[in-house]
Amino acid sequence: MNFAPDTSIDIASAVNRATAPSSAPKLKVEKLNFYYGDNHALKNINFEIPEKRVTAMIGPSGCGKSTLLRIFNRMYQLYPGQRAEGKILFDGGDLLSKDLDSTVVRSRIGMVFQKPTPFPMSIYDNIAFGVKLHESLSKSQMDERVEWCLRKAAIWEETKDRLHTSALGMSGGQQQRLCIARTIAVRPEVILLDEPTSALDPISTSKIEDLIDELKQEFTIVIVTHNMQQAARCADITSFFYLGELIEVGASNEIFTNPREARTRDYITGRFG
Amino acid sequence: MASLARRRTTDLVVKAVSTGFAALSIVLLAWILWTLLSRGLPALGPHVFTRITAPPGAGGGLLNAIVGSLIQIVVALVIGTPIGLMCGTFLAENGRGTQIANVVRFVNDVLLSAPSILIGLFVYQLLVVPFGGFSGWAGSIALAILVIPVVVRTTEDMLNLVPIGLREAAFALGAPQWKVVTFVTWRAARAGLVTGILLALARAAGETAPLLFTSLGNNGWSINLGAPMASLPIAIYQYAASPFEDWVALAWAGALIITVGVLTLNVLSRLILAKMK
Amino acid sequence: MAASISGTEANTALIAAHKPTGRISDPIFVGLLWASGIFVLVLLGFIIAMLFEGGLPALREFGISFVWSTMWNPVTERFGAGVMVYGTVLSAVIAVIVALPLSFGIAFFLTEIAPGRLRRPIGVAIQLLAAIPSIIYGMWGFFVVVPLIAAYVQPPLIEWLGPIPLIGALFQGPPLGAGMLTAGLILALMILPFITAMFVEVLESVPPMLKESAYGVGATTYEVYRNVSVPYGRTAMVGAVMLGLGRALGETMAVTFVIGNATRMSASLFAPGATIASTIANEFPEASIGSLKLQALLQLGFILFVISFIVLALSRLLVRSKLKS
Repeated sequence: MNFAPDTSIDIASAVNRATAPSSAPKLKVEKLNFYYGDNHALKNINFEIPEKRVTAMIGPSGCGKSTLLRIFNRMYQLYPGQRAEGKILFDGGDLLSKDLDSTVVRSRIGMVFQKPTPFPMSIYDNIAFGVKLHESLSKSQMDERVEWCLRKAAIWEETKDRLHTSALGMSGGQQQRLCIARTIAVRPEVILLDEPTSALDPISTSKIEDLIDELKQEFTIVIVTHNMQQAARCADITSFFYLGELIEVGASNEIFTNPREARTRDYITGRFG
Repeated sequence: MASLARRRTTDLVVKAVSTGFAALSIVLLAWILWTLLSRGLPALGPHVFTRITAPPGAGGGLLNAIVGSLIQIVVALVIGTPIGLMCGTFLAENGRGTQIANVVRFVNDVLLSAPSILIGLFVYQLLVVPFGGFSGWAGSIALAILVIPVVVRTTEDMLNLVPIGLREAAFALGAPQWKVVTFVTWRAARAGLVTGILLALARAAGETAPLLFTSLGNNGWSINLGAPMASLPIAIYQYAASPFEDWVALAWAGALIITVGVLTLNVLSRLILAKMK
Repeated sequence: MAASISGTEANTALIAAHKPTGRISDPIFVGLLWASGIFVLVLLGFIIAMLFEGGLPALREFGISFVWSTMWNPVTERFGAGVMVYGTVLSAVIAVIVALPLSFGIAFFLTEIAPGRLRRPIGVAIQLLAAIPSIIYGMWGFFVVVPLIAAYVQPPLIEWLGPIPLIGALFQGPPLGAGMLTAGLILALMILPFITAMFVEVLESVPPMLKESAYGVGATTYEVYRNVSVPYGRTAMVGAVMLGLGRALGETMAVTFVIGNATRMSASLFAPGATIASTIANEFPEASIGSLKLQALLQLGFILFVISFIVLALSRLLVRSKLKS
C-alpha cells in the first residue's frame, strides 16, 4: 500500500508532545502481523504505548483496532485459526512468546469489554473471582481489596450496602464500572478498554470518561473507541487504523486538529467511516 | 385464478379445520388424563405406597416398585448427568465449529431418538449376559444411556445462549478454562442446565422397554442393586396385562403416579425456561 | 530499560511475578471434556457392534434371507424378520400419514391463527403429549381405544369398504380392535407433538419480510402459509416428518399393547400384527440365554437399529441443513 507511512519514527516525538515529562513505552509492538485464518487483518504494525497515559485507537469498523487490543492480552488465543506474528514487548519480555502463560499475561493486562459483562454472582464475588485466581487473601484483606477497587472505580457509594446482592440487578452504567473495578482488583499494569461506553447512556459515559482520567495516574490505558470526541477528551495519544494498517499516531490534539495524513483527516471529518 | 369469494372460503375452511385439529389434540390429551384420573384415583390409597407387590387378591401395593424406580433413576442420573454435562460442554466450548463436534452432535441426536428397547438389549448383552443375571445396576445403566443424550442436548443449547463476552471477560481476568466454565458459564446457564436434568429425569421415569431386559422386575422387597429390581413401569406392564381386577386397578394407580410425576417435571422445566427468557 | 535484558530472561521474570493459574487443572478438565465427547461416539459404535454380534449366529443359521423371511416359528426354531419388518414399517407409515395433516393444521393454527395469549398454553399442552410415557399410551389404547374401534370403527368400515376389490383386502377380518390400524393411530398421536414442534420452529424462522410481501399482493393467510412459509421450510419439514417416522419405528410399549402380537403376515389393516420392537418385548421372556430364539431377537434388534439409524440420520441432515442456512 503506497499511502502507508513508516510510523515508527514519529512515536518518540509524538509522546514528547503529548504531555511532559515524557513516558517510557509500556508496550512496544514490533512488526506485528495478524491473521484470521487466511485473512490478513493486521499488517506490519509498529507502535509504542507509553506508560501511565491513555492511548486511543480509532478507525472505521474492521480496521483492526479491536483486533490489536485483543492481541495485547492474548484473547485471540481462545480461537483456533487466529494467529499473530511479530513481537509485543512488555517490560522487555515478548507477550506473544509461547512459553509465557496466557493467564499470567491476562493478570497483568486487564480488559473491559464493549458490553458490561457482570458474572452471574454477587457484586462482591464478581470482584473476588479475579483476585482469588492470582492471590490468596484473608477475608479482611479481600474486604479491603473489594472496597479499594470499588472506590477506584467510583462506584463504592452506590454498592457498599448491597455488596452481596446479584450484580445483574445493577444498571448498565453501574455494571460497566463494576467490570472496571473487577479488572482493577487484579492490579494489572495495563487496562484495555474495548469501546467501553458504546452501550451506555451519556451520563454513564461521562462518568466512565472521568474515571479513565483518574485511572491513568496508576495504570497504562489503551482504549478503542468509535467516538472521536471521546478519544479527543480522554486520550493523550491517538492512533488511527485503516484496513489493517496503522496510518498515523500522535498526540491527540495534533491528530484531531492537524492530521498529517489525508486519510486521517477524511475519517475525523466524517468523510468516510 | 379462483374468484375472491372462493379464496376467502378456502381460507376460512382451512382455518376452521386447523383450529379443529388443535382442539382435537387438546381433547385427546384431556381424554388420556381423564382416563388416568377416573381409573387411577379410585385405586389410589395408602396401601399403594405402604405395601409391596403381592399375589392377586392379597391386597398388595407398589412400594417396592416405587422405591426400585427411584433408586434406579437416581443411580442413572448420578452416572448420566456428569457425562452428559461434560459432553454438552465439550460441544459448546472446546468443540465449537470443529468436525469432531459435528460428528458427536450427530451421534447424540441419533441416540436421543434411537429406540429405547435397543438400549435395553445392548445393556443386556453388555452386562446381564456376562455377569450372569438381571440387576438393578443393569437397569440403572440402561436408563443412564437414555439420560445422557437429553442432558447433552440441553446443555449445549443452554451454553450457546451464554454470551461469548461473559466467557471472554472471565478469561481476561486470567482465569483458566475450568474456572471460566464452572464458575461463570455453567453458572450463567444454571437454570437451563437444571431443566435438562429434569427432562432427563422425566424420560428415565417413564421408560419401560429398556428395563425389561436389564433389571427385569422383582415381586419382593429388594434394594440390592446387584439383584433384579422392581420398577414402577415394569409393574404397571405386568399388572395391566393381567386378568386380575385388583392388579389392573393397581396398574392404573401406578400409571397415574408416573404420569403426574412426569408431567409435573415437564411443566416445571418449561416454567424455568420461560422465566429465563 | 528492559531492552537490555534478553527475551527469555525477561519472560522468566514475567512468569515469576505471577503464578499461572490452571497449569495442571486445565489439561485435566479439557481432557475430561474431550473424553465425554468421545465417549458418546464410542457408545453408539458399541451399541451397533453388540447388537450385531449378538444376532450374528441367527444370521449365520438362516442367511441373509432372515431379513425378509416371513417364517417365525419358535417350535421348529425357524425364524425370519419379514413379518416384523413389514409390521414396523406399515404401522409407522400409517402413523405418519395420519399425523402429517394434523401437524400441518396445528402448526398453521399455532403460528398464524391462535391469539398471542393462547399460543403458549396450547403449544405446551400439545408438547405434553410427547411427555406422556409410552406405557400410558399403551394402557389407554388397550383399555379405551381398542374397544371403541372394535365397536364403532371397524364394523362399518368392513361393511362399506370390505367388498371393494383390492382396497377391500385392507379391511377384512373380524373387528378385534387391536391390530395394525390401531397401532398406527396411537403412534400417530405419539409422534404428532414432535412433528408439530419442529414444524412450528421452522415456520417461525421464515423471514417476516417474505410473508409480508406475499400479504402485500393480497394473499390470504392460508395462501401465504401454503405458498410461502411451507415451501420456505420444506427441507426441514421433511426432516421433521422423518424424525416422527424414526420415533414411530422404534416405539415399543404402546404398540405391544394394541397391535395384537401375531407373527403372521396379513394384508388387512384390522388383523393383529407385530413390529420388531413389540416382538422383542413380547418374546424375550421366553428366550433363554444362548438360544437361537434369543439370537434371532437380537438380530431383529440390529435390523431395527439399521432402519431407524438411516431414517434418523436423514432426518437430522435435512433439518440441520435448512436451519443452518
